[in-house]
Amino acid sequence: MLTFDPAIGFSSAVLAVQSAESGLKDGFGTNAIQDFLVGVKPEYVPAWAVPLTAIGIAIGIVLAIVSVLAMFSTWLERKVSGHIQCRFGPMRVGWHGWLQPLADGVKLLLKEDMIPLGADRTLYVIAPALVLASLLGAMAAFPLTETFYFANFGLGIFMILALTSTTTIGVVMAGWSSNSKWSLYGAMREAAQVVAYEIPLGISLLVPIMVAGSFNLIEVSQGQGGGYGILNWNIWPWVNPFMLPAFVLFFVAILAETKRAPFDLPEAESELVAGFMTEYSGIRWSFFFMEEYAAMFLYCVVGSFFFFGGFESPVTSLAESVGGTNSLLHQLGAASTIVLKGFAGVFLMMWLRWTLPRVRIDQVMTMGYKYLTPLALVCVLGAGLWEAFIAPHLWWRS
Amino acid sequence: MTAVTHYFKNVVDSVKTTLIGLGITGKYLLQKPITVQYPDERLPIPNRYRGIHYLEQEKCIDCLACARACPIDCIEMDAVRHGKELEWISFTLDYQKCMFCELCVYPCPKDCIHMGTEFAFVSYDRSEFVHDLLSYRGMARDAKVRMVEAEKKKKAKEEAKKAKEGAQAAVVAEAADDEGEEASSEDA
Amino acid sequence: MSTTKTYEPSISRTEGRPLAGGEREYMIDVRTQDMEVNMGPQHPATHGVMRVLVRADGELITGAQPHLGYLHRCAEKIGESVEWLQYLPYTDRYDYLAAMNNNLGYSMAVEKLMGIEIPRRAMMLRTLCAELNRIGSHLIAIGTYGLDIGAFTPFLYMFREREWMMALFEKICGARLTYSYIRIGGVFNDAPPGWLSEVEAFCDTFEVKWREYYDLLIQNHIFVKRTADIGVITREMALDFGLTGPMLRGSAIDWDLRRDTPYELYDEICKDKAFEIPLASGEKGTLGDCWDRAWVRAMEMMESIKIVRWCLDKIEPGPVIGDIPKTLRIPPGEAYVGIENPRGELGHYVVSDGGKIAVRCRVRGPSFVNLAVLEELMPGALLADTIAIIGSTDIVVGETDR
Repeated sequence: MLTFDPAIGFSSAVLAVQSAESGLKDGFGTNAIQDFLVGVKPEYVPAWAVPLTAIGIAIGIVLAIVSVLAMFSTWLERKVSGHIQCRFGPMRVGWHGWLQPLADGVKLLLKEDMIPLGADRTLYVIAPALVLASLLGAMAAFPLTETFYFANFGLGIFMILALTSTTTIGVVMAGWSSNSKWSLYGAMREAAQVVAYEIPLGISLLVPIMVAGSFNLIEVSQGQGGGYGILNWNIWPWVNPFMLPAFVLFFVAILAETKRAPFDLPEAESELVAGFMTEYSGIRWSFFFMEEYAAMFLYCVVGSFFFFGGFESPVTSLAESVGGTNSLLHQLGAASTIVLKGFAGVFLMMWLRWTLPRVRIDQVMTMGYKYLTPLALVCVLGAGLWEAFIAPHLWWRS
Repeated sequence: MTAVTHYFKNVVDSVKTTLIGLGITGKYLLQKPITVQYPDERLPIPNRYRGIHYLEQEKCIDCLACARACPIDCIEMDAVRHGKELEWISFTLDYQKCMFCELCVYPCPKDCIHMGTEFAFVSYDRSEFVHDLLSYRGMARDAKVRMVEAEKKKKAKEEAKKAKEGAQAAVVAEAADDEGEEASSEDA
Repeated sequence: MSTTKTYEPSISRTEGRPLAGGEREYMIDVRTQDMEVNMGPQHPATHGVMRVLVRADGELITGAQPHLGYLHRCAEKIGESVEWLQYLPYTDRYDYLAAMNNNLGYSMAVEKLMGIEIPRRAMMLRTLCAELNRIGSHLIAIGTYGLDIGAFTPFLYMFREREWMMALFEKICGARLTYSYIRIGGVFNDAPPGWLSEVEAFCDTFEVKWREYYDLLIQNHIFVKRTADIGVITREMALDFGLTGPMLRGSAIDWDLRRDTPYELYDEICKDKAFEIPLASGEKGTLGDCWDRAWVRAMEMMESIKIVRWCLDKIEPGPVIGDIPKTLRIPPGEAYVGIENPRGELGHYVVSDGGKIAVRCRVRGPSFVNLAVLEELMPGALLADTIAIIGSTDIVVGETDR
């Protein structure tokens, strides 16, 4: 019934590459698990089983994180939308319905798993797994604290962008294989939209990358340290005045990348019924759902790493001054900071979703190519000039 | 408007109206919801609410005015008359058909059929939607008493009448006898 | 996408045969065929069970054909088989969003045949309820239009106000949707004590909330961009298709039955200049586009509030129903009464032979007539625009099919 196999296969391949590349870095992750396993390994277990087990455990942890994120996000979405619309949202299961996602999960697991008659069965089955797998791979590059991560390598942000954009393949596969016209529309829209918005997304991220001088999430975060944990965030105009417009462009682009309103054209419920997931039901449908919410969180975390100081916050700096660097207190502060920042971004996305109407496909394209891309380029140019000629003379940037 | 101003006007307009919209939705986000948790709390139902009917059976005279007024003929009633008293057999309303238009209420000469404030009427079985409005079947106790009394009275009356008639007949017969006697005597 | 793109059938260059409808030849041997998509009867945005058969070249629509009849309930035939008063509850059900107006139209048609006088207070209550219901109907129209465009929240805000309006109706007549309140000869019940002041409170609050809807939805840039220049109905087209109501005034044709063929108390209201008729001006795009129609509806709600306030000002105590026998026998003859429904001209044509039952009971539904223009508007639009166009016509399928 469950189709985790392709997901596990794909992300284990990814993780194997990562652990090979990032073997030199210290910290908790697959290497730490592997070290632990080597320590407790009985004699009769062959040596090649150890890395595989380590990867399996790592995938399990990532999967658990993704599921919990998705569950909490669905609850948050329903509560936020409810209160925006002057109603309560879920109230029955647990305190203010906090167990509702669990109940929904059980329902989705027990639902009949339908495959339409005319569907291309293989592609239809693989598509949701592929969508989730690419996201699981990307989640591996998300560091929870400065020393807790599964993969930490120099081009971290590129790895995240590359893997998250492969969800498009899964979505197009789902739309094509469903043998439904609405699904096909949704898939084609998704492909066009994601391709168009990768460009401004990447370009607008160049601005903070330029300021930080690194592609690595942790290094970018460390570069924004000091100043009571808040004054050196990239977003502030005294760091670089082009950062705020770049963030707005980045945010619009991630809205489009994660198929959130006002760019939810691939699923546009009033036009395409449910877009590419019209024919899906039960647990397969919930894979798409989990992917959407996990992607929202991941992109928001990326945004907070590059624009809003990453692990740096007054709480973290206080914990650091009390407990010292890399103490448990500091780690807790950093982890809670990044999770809170991520959910703040998710909340903003939800708020926007329940406020704005949906744009049309030609307007999506116009916005991507005619507005976001040129404006992002202008931001990069301005930020580059600022960094080259003005920033060296600022005493707080030295 | 040149293309350049149009371009920047689009950017400014979209940002401005989005912020206005976010302000409005954000305001409601912080306010208390206006909905109620239905089965626990209920909104007040006004007196004139057109819900499930109820019948003041004591008043009803089985005149069929409501059944005739009904556009979909969902009211059926059946009763046996015992003089002035009614023996009720059935008074049913089919809620599969009823559209709660209240047209049955107005023509009632005794003002005995009303629409109540109940609206939840749930069943697994369609036959249960044929709702019986009667609170009792047959005859009410006081109606029975009244009927017995009325019958007694009637009987008494009849007896009295009979007695009277009998007396009269006797008188008439006597008179006839007298006349006969007279006649016979005359004949004789 | 206001330019209408038409495809002429041509001859295949390779095969020499004429290309079929929707088939095109781009290069020597690249032929494409239009995709036929069934939008509805089960589709979230067709406002009920309407089916639009759409021919699409990718996202571009090359042809569309609305199909009706999925909600046909023989309303007119029922009108010819039940008594005059008994037909009243059925009139609620064809345009279920504006049941008061339907009651009013039918009652007025029968009253015209009877030639009776309606008490003044009854007329006041009728006008008041009809205008309140117009507000409720336009709230749904704009709210669901926002929903079609993708804005969910304004829809629920508008439901909140509509809920209040329905609670008011619940207090006066006991029903929330199918009111059957306005009857032949007057209204069923007088307003309960305190009801009129509640209506006033509703008006006060509504004026504040209306501003929010206007800012949140009508003036929103995305909404404007989605609706302006889409589904343009020119003045000639509007007249040719016999459009009425906001669809007509969205093309800046100054025609409103409330003013031009005044019924009930509307001539007095017009004399007092208590309301004006909003006309679109093509402010955000072309004259007669979807935005203009939505704007006209939004402005009409405020005008209705003015009429309601006028009625609240002038209402006096008195009887609410004339001297009407329990079983109506209507004198022989025929009558047509057209009133301004929220969607346009709602006409009732009734024929009597002097009996208890109508010989003919014909309804001219505004949604049905306004729907005809869809076929003309759709070609050349994008798929998402078809939803915007259907939404802007504000049809109620219960009325198109009856």
